[in-house]
Amino acid sequence: MLINALNGLVYGSLLFVLSAGLVLVYGLRRVVNFAHGALYMLGAYIGWSVATLYGFAAGVVAAGVALAAVGVVLDLVLFRRLAGRQPLITVIVTFGVLLILEDVVRSVWGTGNRALDPPAALDGVVEIFGAPFPVYRLFIVAASAAMAGGLAAWLRWGRTGLFVRAASHDASVAAMCGVRTAAIGPMVVGLGAAFAGLSGIVAAPFLSIHPSMGSEILVLSFVVSVIGGLGSFAGAFVAAMLLGQVQSFGTVLLPELAALLPFLLMAGVLIFRPQGIAGTKG
Amino acid sequence: MSAMTEHTLAAPAVTRLLPKPGTLLVGLVVIGVAVVAASSAPRVLASLLTQSVIVAFLALGVGLLIRISGLVSFGHAAPFGLGAYGAAWALSPAAPIAPEIGLLLIAPAIGAAFFLIGLVVSRIEGIAFGMLTLALGQSVHVAANKFRTLSGGSDGLIVDVPRRLWGFRTEALQTASGMLIVAVAALMAVLLALAVFERTRAGRLAVAIRENEERVRFLGYRTRAPKAVVLALSAAIPALGGVLFTLYQGFVSPEILTWGFSGQALIMAILGGSVALWGPIAGALAFFVLREELGGLTSHWLAILGTTLIVVTVTWPTGLAGAFGALGRRLTGTVAKGDPA
Repeated sequence: MLINALNGLVYGSLLFVLSAGLVLVYGLRRVVNFAHGALYMLGAYIGWSVATLYGFAAGVVAAGVALAAVGVVLDLVLFRRLAGRQPLITVIVTFGVLLILEDVVRSVWGTGNRALDPPAALDGVVEIFGAPFPVYRLFIVAASAAMAGGLAAWLRWGRTGLFVRAASHDASVAAMCGVRTAAIGPMVVGLGAAFAGLSGIVAAPFLSIHPSMGSEILVLSFVVSVIGGLGSFAGAFVAAMLLGQVQSFGTVLLPELAALLPFLLMAGVLIFRPQGIAGTKG
Repeated sequence: MSAMTEHTLAAPAVTRLLPKPGTLLVGLVVIGVAVVAASSAPRVLASLLTQSVIVAFLALGVGLLIRISGLVSFGHAAPFGLGAYGAAWALSPAAPIAPEIGLLLIAPAIGAAFFLIGLVVSRIEGIAFGMLTLALGQSVHVAANKFRTLSGGSDGLIVDVPRRLWGFRTEALQTASGMLIVAVAALMAVLLALAVFERTRAGRLAVAIRENEERVRFLGYRTRAPKAVVLALSAAIPALGGVLFTLYQGFVSPEILTWGFSGQALIMAILGGSVALWGPIAGALAFFVLREELGGLTSHWLAILGTTLIVVTVTWPTGLAGAFGALGRRLTGTVAKGDPA
């Protein structure tokens, strides 16, 4: 029972970090980024390549930095130019980005599965109330908590974080107050992509690395951000934790229906509360 | 006299519902071309055309929803796949009713189901609608993988198509050329039906709702049902394509329920454009031809597809249909009269 709850927590925190990137970009650009799963996958592959050569820590850093760069380029080349157009146009454009990134991954790394071992320091098992539990899964929770906490603190107390919140709320008023909104865009999309990349490499030793890992988890991170209310971190947090538990207990209690539950949950939320748990109307 | 013109929205005359004779003629010419292509084209080309015409039903459904309701769906593989599985069940020996009747009931049944869904989700639009369709589509995909007794799971179902249906021999349906003629004829019939629908009261109301739902309600119309009718049509058409898919392939698997397949249909609809009803069909043809040509030349087909999608959406939002329309107007020297039909 407790182990199930813990596993749910591990999966939930991973989902939250991934969705946080999605929420960040949606908040500013009002774009649901279909390429987010592909960014997560790219992070896992880049991280894997570097980690097998220079160790796990270097892989994590490389995934974060490389994906931040990809995010900045994405914003400068595509999102900014489309800022005034219908959001759905940009959504379809991100779908095109997804196809391009999948092609890149297939061409560079092939279509086979890759496995990454957890670093030696995290490769053990601990006893929790008499049941064995892999240390690496606890590390996922800790790393996710650190990233989420860092992001929340930055947005809440940091000066730039304040600017990001202001620009997300109303870009033109923020600009009139002297916020350099032109610089905020690449920063936010870069950060969102970095979160995707980091969750990719952190997830790599836990789930496996393969060319469809991105589209599998993308749909779940959509479920999280829609249930939470697009653009809301608190909502996404609650939704991710809920979904983690649903997945974990669902597989044990209702194995037939487990994979269906997230979608039924999402459809239910959309029908009865279209703005999500924490979302505001509009 | 004036009373008649005032009530044209309420009760259009039957003749006004039909498209122009020229348009009908084009439809017949297309069927004729299909017959010629089916009898003379090499087998590879015929099978490519047949595949693209079957998937064109799906693209047409997705495009119809964009065109009339302004809604983008990421889950329309579901009605297509359900149509295909439905046909497999209707043809199985365990089916409670004769396959001749069962096959004909599939598209209306799926349309009716989506009409009910449409009534429930009528307030959802924009990105939320896209996410909802994604969730519904994924649910169906997961269900097809899980409920093995019904769907055969990831192995799929092999279908024994009876040798005779409605008194006709079915061998021809499983050849590329035979199915090509049947599918093109069915597609033209669907196009005609849609052209008529767009001229009916419900069709015109649906367009008005896309433009401004609040104002349409203010004028005293109920908006729920017309929107649900469009969703129902946009699902019934792919379902029909799914039925043809099963009759042609004799095999169904969850492959045709993935959200990647829904996404491909969306790409076709956007490449084709939604300014003309036939846009998504052109998009489906272009998609398959491009894939065939480029797939042989380079392994980077996905990247090229992605780039094409971005370029078309950003610089050329009316797609192939818009380009043809502009070309036609330039050739005939006519000025655009608003939205070409």
